[in-house]
Amino acid sequence: MKDSISAMYEKRPRTWATQALLLALALVLLLWSGLSIESSGSGTGGGKIALNILSGLAHPDTGLLFNFTKQGVAYLLLETVCIAFLGTVVGAILAIPLAFLSASNLMPKPIAFVARVFIMAVRTVPTFVYGLVFVRMVAPGPFAGLLTMSLSSIGMVSKMYIEAIEDLDAGVLESLTAAGCNTLQKIRYGVLPQLMPGFASTAIYRFDMNLRDATVLGLVGAGGIGAPLIFAMNAYRWNEAGSILWGLIILVLLIEFLSTRIRVKLARG
Amino acid sequence: MSLYDKIFPPRITTLPNGKSVAKPRSRAPVVILVILALSYVSVKVTGFDLSVVVRRSKEFFVIFARMVPPEWGYMSRVWKPLMDTIKMSLLGSAVGALLAVPFATLASTNIVKNKVLVAAMRLFFSLVRTLPTLITALIATYIFGLGTLAGTIAIAVFTFAYLGKVLYEEIETVDMGAFEAMESMGVTKARAFVFAILPQVAPSYFSNCLFCFEGNVRYAAILGYVGAGGIGLILNEKIGWREYPSVGIILLALFVTVFIIETISREIRRHLT
Amino acid sequence: MIDFSHVGKTYPNGFQALKDINLKIEQGEFVAVIGLSGAGKSTLIRTINRMHDVTEGTLTVDDVDVMALKGKALRRFRRRIGMIFQSFNLVTRTTVLKNVLAARVPDLSWWRAFLGVFPKADKLAALEALDQVGILDKAYVRADQLSGGQQQRVALARTLAQNPQIILADEPVASLDPVTARQVMRDFARINQELNITVIINIHHVELALQHASRVIGIRAGEIVYDGSAADVTPQVLEQIYDGKLEEAENESV
Repeated sequence: MKDSISAMYEKRPRTWATQALLLALALVLLLWSGLSIESSGSGTGGGKIALNILSGLAHPDTGLLFNFTKQGVAYLLLETVCIAFLGTVVGAILAIPLAFLSASNLMPKPIAFVARVFIMAVRTVPTFVYGLVFVRMVAPGPFAGLLTMSLSSIGMVSKMYIEAIEDLDAGVLESLTAAGCNTLQKIRYGVLPQLMPGFASTAIYRFDMNLRDATVLGLVGAGGIGAPLIFAMNAYRWNEAGSILWGLIILVLLIEFLSTRIRVKLARG
Repeated sequence: MSLYDKIFPPRITTLPNGKSVAKPRSRAPVVILVILALSYVSVKVTGFDLSVVVRRSKEFFVIFARMVPPEWGYMSRVWKPLMDTIKMSLLGSAVGALLAVPFATLASTNIVKNKVLVAAMRLFFSLVRTLPTLITALIATYIFGLGTLAGTIAIAVFTFAYLGKVLYEEIETVDMGAFEAMESMGVTKARAFVFAILPQVAPSYFSNCLFCFEGNVRYAAILGYVGAGGIGLILNEKIGWREYPSVGIILLALFVTVFIIETISREIRRHLT
Repeated sequence: MIDFSHVGKTYPNGFQALKDINLKIEQGEFVAVIGLSGAGKSTLIRTINRMHDVTEGTLTVDDVDVMALKGKALRRFRRRIGMIFQSFNLVTRTTVLKNVLAARVPDLSWWRAFLGVFPKADKLAALEALDQVGILDKAYVRADQLSGGQQQRVALARTLAQNPQIILADEPVASLDPVTARQVMRDFARINQELNITVIINIHHVELALQHASRVIGIRAGEIVYDGSAADVTPQVLEQIYDGKLEEAENESV
């Protein structure tokens, strides 16, 4: 065998050390996490409950499902949708000034940093905390729910707004200035057209997520479909729970389908 | 000619040289109308009342004001739930991420030629993804009992669905050339996948895993509310007792933790791409 | 020896890609297949390693009926045939050496294949293959940092690491500049002579074909219209193969 080949073989990069290290680190972390898992455990009861839920899904309470009164699944879903919708709208509006304040290409660094930390703080507070606070503030019900949704949307929405703002093409603004436009015109024709599709797309994406999170609000008494679901499950009324779950699944799939279509249209123009 | 253009015909401008241009009418009026209509309905249904907000906004700030200064002494009791929260999201994310790989492969049209299988997989992913994490956690507590196990499972389920979708979308856009070459050499589909396709999707996969983990830490904090372990449990308790300074320290600890994790994650993700 | 006997390929929609192909290629020949795009050149060579199926006739390679092969037997059959592609088909994010090692994947035990760990013998074999095409020094460079010609050589090394008996090349130089194209053709010729590997090249650049191959097969509309030595190819023969469109074909690049 030629010398050049064996020489080349000796020169081979020995990456296995770093890879082994990373793997070991990952394993340690996983073990640390896994060893302290605990549960009050329900033993065989758990399996039975799982089967019950599945049978509840298989035989949903169609009376409840198609009941169009205020107690029916349909109305509750409508309420959930409305909570999510207004919550997204309010959140999107609140996020706009925050996003502009955090954009590093528009604001001086200190202000942008403080604004970002503020947004992060708002984002970190768990949704149900807001829920409980708002329930205390405006009484239990969907109103509290929608306020909760708007605050919990701010985090993600402003983050995406900030990305859109920082991606702004300054060249367009330059050409508008060269053409003699004043600031208002520059915003109307230079800034807004670039931001609108991104903003709209973000809002719709967030609406989709809010819809799923809105079901949670029922748990804190803030309206929506969460409460009936809990009651049904606590009372072992599996058929009812099944019908509620079905209503939820259908709704979310529908909205997801619609929202993807709209977002694709927004992206393609 | 879409339906809209048939109802509202485009505006035709004729230039001096005889050529004409048809500008379709803007969709904006319809969109604004739809949004206003939906808003009206939503306001009615939810009982949104701005005046109430204004009147009671003092309450909101009062509650948060009572969280400062936070109850430092309580911190020692916060450690364990906080660590539980991190562990839940760590393990849950890892399990979900690992399971997502084989299933996402089965959902990719360029790897699996059986259309029925692919469609079934994608439907499965969609269904799992529609379940809100909290509901999954709730159901998990019924099946597995209270505690961090339920929370870990809920997070694993969510991560599985989210990463699965992102992964199969990524696999579909991959360059199949090297895969084809390996098949022509007599390599099995599975091995060709590992050698030719995985290296292409690996960086974005790991980046997405980390991103998902970031979000999961915050989700895990919420799961405690349904008894699935972690920091949500004590948070709920303290709010119930109106011990706001304790709530304050919990939130502060959570904030610092999330900040650290997100910073580290962002650094690693920057390295990957 | 490759033996086509009344081979045809008809697609479900009725289109006949290959009609009544009768052809014998002995071990160690250097064959160039020329013709217009869509004439069936690519289909012809891809039937040899069953990347495309034949619908009529029999195709045997060393007395093995290609169409009867399935699963493991097919894979083992393909191991003996190397394929070079116009777009190189390398894994761009990994090193040159790893790309060449891909040829040794079928022999790995399952855990080695899963982890991507190759034994020393395989690595040495891969380095030798790189040396044979003259790019040993680039062994640890990332594949996408090489020029087109170098990448095609990596592909060639990958094929050599298979120890094939036949090499099929589907438009191997179409993406390369004229100088590099010539170098790669010379590499093919050298491998053919030194290692006695049958080389079948699908190429639309007639001059390169005539300069390096010993045997030329002309395909037109799925049929063989010329089968003889490169030296005997006259302008009239080319007219017939290219149906009068030779200039167009010459100027065709990807």
